[in-house]
Amino acid sequence: MRKELTVTNIQRMCFHDGPGIRTTVFTKGCSLHCPWCSNPENISGFLEPYEKDGKAGIYGKKYTSPQLIEILLKDRDFWEPEGGVTFSGGEPLLQADALQELLVELKELWIHTVAETALFVPETYVRMVLPYIDYFIVDVKILKDSFCREVLGGDLELYKRNVQHVYCSGKLGVFRIPCCPEYTFTEQNRELLLKFLMQYPEIPVQIFTVHSFGEKKYESLKRPVWRTKGVDRQQLLEYCAQLGEYGIKAEVIQI
Amino acid sequence: MTATKLDMFEKFKENGIDRNYDDSFALICENMEIQIGQGRFIYFLDPNYAMDTTKGARYENLTPAYWKILDRGLEQLKYPAEEVTNSFCKSCNAVLDSLILLIRRVEEKLDPCDSHREKQKIWLKRMRKCPAQSFEEAIQRLLFVNQMFWQTDHRLTGLGAWDSYLFPYYESDIQKGNLNKEKALEILKDLYRILHENYKYKSNVLMGDTGQIFVLGKSEPGGGYVCNELTYLFIEAMKEVQQSEPKCLLRVNRKTPRELLELALASITTGIGAPLLANDDVVIPQLLEFGIEEEDAYEYMTSACWEPLIGGKSVSQNNMTVLNYLKALDNLLKRERLENIASFEEFISVYLIYLKRNLRAVKRVLSSLRYQYDPLLSVFMEDCYKQKKDASWGGARYRHFGVTSVAMGDTVDALFNIREYVFEKKKCTLYDVKQMLILNFEGKEELRKELKERPSRYGTDDEDVVALVNRITSCVAEEIDGFSSYQGGRLKVGLSGAAYMDAARSFGASFNGRKAGEPFTVHISNEDNDGFTEIINFVSELEYGSARFNGNVVDLMVSPDFIYKNWEKFVDFLMICIRKGFFEMQMNVVSSKTLLEAREHPEDFPNLIVRVWGFSAYFKDLPREYQDVLIKRALKNEGMPS
Repeated sequence: MRKELTVTNIQRMCFHDGPGIRTTVFTKGCSLHCPWCSNPENISGFLEPYEKDGKAGIYGKKYTSPQLIEILLKDRDFWEPEGGVTFSGGEPLLQADALQELLVELKELWIHTVAETALFVPETYVRMVLPYIDYFIVDVKILKDSFCREVLGGDLELYKRNVQHVYCSGKLGVFRIPCCPEYTFTEQNRELLLKFLMQYPEIPVQIFTVHSFGEKKYESLKRPVWRTKGVDRQQLLEYCAQLGEYGIKAEVIQI
Repeated sequence: MTATKLDMFEKFKENGIDRNYDDSFALICENMEIQIGQGRFIYFLDPNYAMDTTKGARYENLTPAYWKILDRGLEQLKYPAEEVTNSFCKSCNAVLDSLILLIRRVEEKLDPCDSHREKQKIWLKRMRKCPAQSFEEAIQRLLFVNQMFWQTDHRLTGLGAWDSYLFPYYESDIQKGNLNKEKALEILKDLYRILHENYKYKSNVLMGDTGQIFVLGKSEPGGGYVCNELTYLFIEAMKEVQQSEPKCLLRVNRKTPRELLELALASITTGIGAPLLANDDVVIPQLLEFGIEEEDAYEYMTSACWEPLIGGKSVSQNNMTVLNYLKALDNLLKRERLENIASFEEFISVYLIYLKRNLRAVKRVLSSLRYQYDPLLSVFMEDCYKQKKDASWGGARYRHFGVTSVAMGDTVDALFNIREYVFEKKKCTLYDVKQMLILNFEGKEELRKELKERPSRYGTDDEDVVALVNRITSCVAEEIDGFSSYQGGRLKVGLSGAAYMDAARSFGASFNGRKAGEPFTVHISNEDNDGFTEIINFVSELEYGSARFNGNVVDLMVSPDFIYKNWEKFVDFLMICIRKGFFEMQMNVVSSKTLLEAREHPEDFPNLIVRVWGFSAYFKDLPREYQDVLIKRALKNEGMPS
């Protein structure tokens, strides 16, 4: 039997998820539970019923590699010269087994692959997909050990080892920081972020404010919505400038 | 004004007998009011002296051979006395004499003490006798020809490839040191302004529908791209003046410089929706296949909106009528014995039979059309002049008919719904469908909503959809093949059409959840698309050969933010789209928020321009229903409930 990847959405013509024009596959299931998450439908790894505007539906659909590839290849002509397929989520590496199978086939077709990951996954998962991913977008979140465990449910040591591993492969393309005034953008965490990023000074950084766009999805899942006012652009720009002083190339992006 | 108009019609008679063309034309030139504005150029229309339009169909939607007036004076356009061998030659000379007379009248009006007027006077004098010398002078000549076409009631007069015509004069002025880029830009902005002045008078069905279109850039055999500094300046000027009128079409191919595309996108993104992009790599092969000569195919322009036209050589009437694809489906449901149709395949076959019947009706109407004598047009049509044969006698090189179309999107969606509901899931019978449509879904609101909410399949890259559309258009191509007008003209079709509102207003419900009277899909568009790549894939799979090239416009609704935030990648995307092979593409770059505010408070948005059909118009000038369609599409594109 073929392995199946559980996917919530396939977004064509994405401009934000790596180089060039890309098709992004959002996989279902995450190892973290960030309070600011705007894709709550991607947290649980199981198919999930929901109700939106009085209509019932199911988040998540299982695809075999050939099924997914057929859909993905439709936009192949738009990927030239540097675009391709991005896996986002959720945590795409959580489904390393099925993902690996798909990635092997994509690489056979010479397709550029990107993973947008938080890297809070067992090291073996990283090893399984690393040869077939060309470019990693790695999230950087809460960097205080206890706080990370408590709020996100993640093991920071594991994360750091994984980052190092990906970095050594030369495929770490960009760090991405979701800025949330209550958690990641506190003064303390900003200092930790700076220290962390300084270990990888040549890796560019993208920062963005979290927002409450996921509100409707939370409602559809009958889950409480966590609201934040986010970080205003000016503050983000100042932070970029500050990182710049330490030689880190940072930019503000909108997601 | 009406009274004067009536007087005018009286004037076209002499002792109760109709004056002939030559006399009527002379009457206009002798009597029309001359208005000389303060601006750089002279350009005036007198609505009280239009041409008599009672003697047959009137040529419109054409682009004259403007270039003929650049390298010689009006006198040189006349047939020498020994070559006046028929009545047409006489008419041509009479028309040119009248034009010369009108120019003399204008000259007399110009104050000799004013240095600017003195310059204009020299331009005019020279226009009578000798070639143009400078950039500005050349523009004045083109404007004069254009003005006379409008004056003689040629609606939707196109402008053509002014970047090509004017370039030698621009270059020579630059070399002489009389002109620089900045000054040329100012001159072009004045040109745009003067052509915009009478836009209300020039408008056809809707405000802004004037057909004034510059066709810029081109390809050369072998696939190279040809543009010059004026190509850029024409777009730059349009972008800066921010008017609805006139507009540009930019011909592109895979070798179009990135910076030119960037400029085009910058212009489109200001909201004016222009230039429309036409893809030479796709258009030209179809023209060649149709039998257009190579030297002409590479110089194509377009009729008012987007139908390829050989300017100055073609009197093809490309916008003759509208083919409504739903009509055949409607006829089928109303007239056919539905119980005999056992499968979807059979259903489609019957649909195609009905479609062919509709086309036969179109052909009948077109073959009976006769055009009125038109020496002015013929003077500015290459072959008429050479052959000494008026356009209405078949003198022009190309004289075909074009049909535009509407409702392909609605038809395709309805057909797929019928396949699913009737033949696959058997939720209802064809009779049920018929009844629902006749009753406008009365009592079946739930099902209607269900149908309406399904994402549209037209404009997706689903193989079945592409195959069905190609099958339908192939059937059309087959039926129109062999048509011949009284002048030997053939018939062409296209997949875009201006009547998505007008034709829909009195049309009954359709099985895609569309209620009676609701508008049809706009050209080739689909706001349910996952990304624009989907519709580009779709159009690049469509067949445009066998006379199916009469305008095929993809119409995208894009939010300004989307482009601004992703500028470089969006330009990449456009370049890929050209390689993929769209036929033509236009964009409405405007947010739903702006449109909603402008609908409520038009006074705050006097200059908001949007794209309708194939032209740009002021949002405030549009009827409410057109405004609503744009708002609905913008909301859908932004993923918001409409």
